[in-house]
Amino acid sequence: MATLSGVFATAHSPGLTGFPERADPAKRDAVMAGFGEAAKRIADIGPDAVVAVSVEHFTNFFLANLPVFAVITSDRHLGPVTAQMSEFLRIPQRHYPGAPELAGHVYRYALAHEFDPALADGGFDFDENFCVPLELLDTGDIPVVPVVVNGVNPPYPTPKRCYDFGRMLRGAIEAATSVRSVVVLATGGLSHWVGMPEAGQINEDFDRDFLIRLESGNADRLTDYDDAVLDAAGNGAHEIRGWLVAAGAAGPGTPFETLAYEPVPEWLTGTAVVAARMGAHT
Amino acid sequence: MYFLHKLLWELRRDPALAARFGEDPDGVLAGYELDPAEREAIVRRDFRTLYDLGANPYLLYFCALQIGVSRADYYAQLRAGRDGGNA
Repeated sequence: MATLSGVFATAHSPGLTGFPERADPAKRDAVMAGFGEAAKRIADIGPDAVVAVSVEHFTNFFLANLPVFAVITSDRHLGPVTAQMSEFLRIPQRHYPGAPELAGHVYRYALAHEFDPALADGGFDFDENFCVPLELLDTGDIPVVPVVVNGVNPPYPTPKRCYDFGRMLRGAIEAATSVRSVVVLATGGLSHWVGMPEAGQINEDFDRDFLIRLESGNADRLTDYDDAVLDAAGNGAHEIRGWLVAAGAAGPGTPFETLAYEPVPEWLTGTAVVAARMGAHT
Repeated sequence: MYFLHKLLWELRRDPALAARFGEDPDGVLAGYELDPAEREAIVRRDFRTLYDLGANPYLLYFCALQIGVSRADYYAQLRAGRDGGNA
């Protein structure tokens, strides 16, 4: 039986690796210090696998067949998806190792516990969703189990469903026999607009309120969002669904710690790094 | 809207298709059942109209970059005559 040893969530803005120099130096340093702290904690844990939860930006999936949730069970994942994106993100293209045994277990466990994720057993490539945070967290060759949540095309799964998916995910990890220690990492958000006239704006009030809810560990407050509130923080704010999966995995009453938060217009996002206080309880 | 989205998605994913779209838009569009308004807008690279028609902003933006519309030009189009942009 495995242990869920850590739960983290971070932004995945392309600017973090692709054009960090455009940001205000003080903000950039604060954000990078947050990533550095999370990277250190993950290195100290030394997990056998990272379950990484995010949207994907039409790099693989499309409206012909759009999963609400998906578990990727491949033995490896190409990222960034193209040489062009590799250049844009300034991240060398490579194959990230998968953890097919753990991933297959998560998929089977989900179905047995009345969740219905789609299966992607190959051909799933990374965009900034996973490449940017894994680069900054320096996860190297730690195997990655990607889990995708639809946050790019409405309608979306409800916040409560995302949170409950996370609780199920924790159960799956604790029932796994192929690994001993697992970290959950959610990526994306916070407020931002992609392809919309408001791109470059930040809804700092939304961001700080969301972080306060995370710090509270209160499941009711975390899942008390309707689409209008999220829309007011941009289409990209719907990526917090991945963070809600992570919060569900950490569990009701488990508070989060904000390692960094900065509104960074040059990166087009409210940029945060958080970690669950595993073992603490509010 | 499905075929417009399909066109946007495939132009982004397939550089050869994007190149052919530049040379022979009618030939490429023959493979997609677009409404007249969608068709006219994509031929003119009028992303503002496609946005107002309700196309998914992610698919629009990524396609624009792939067919040679710069990020600055894309957002300038979308913000023209609107409040709230900061271009």
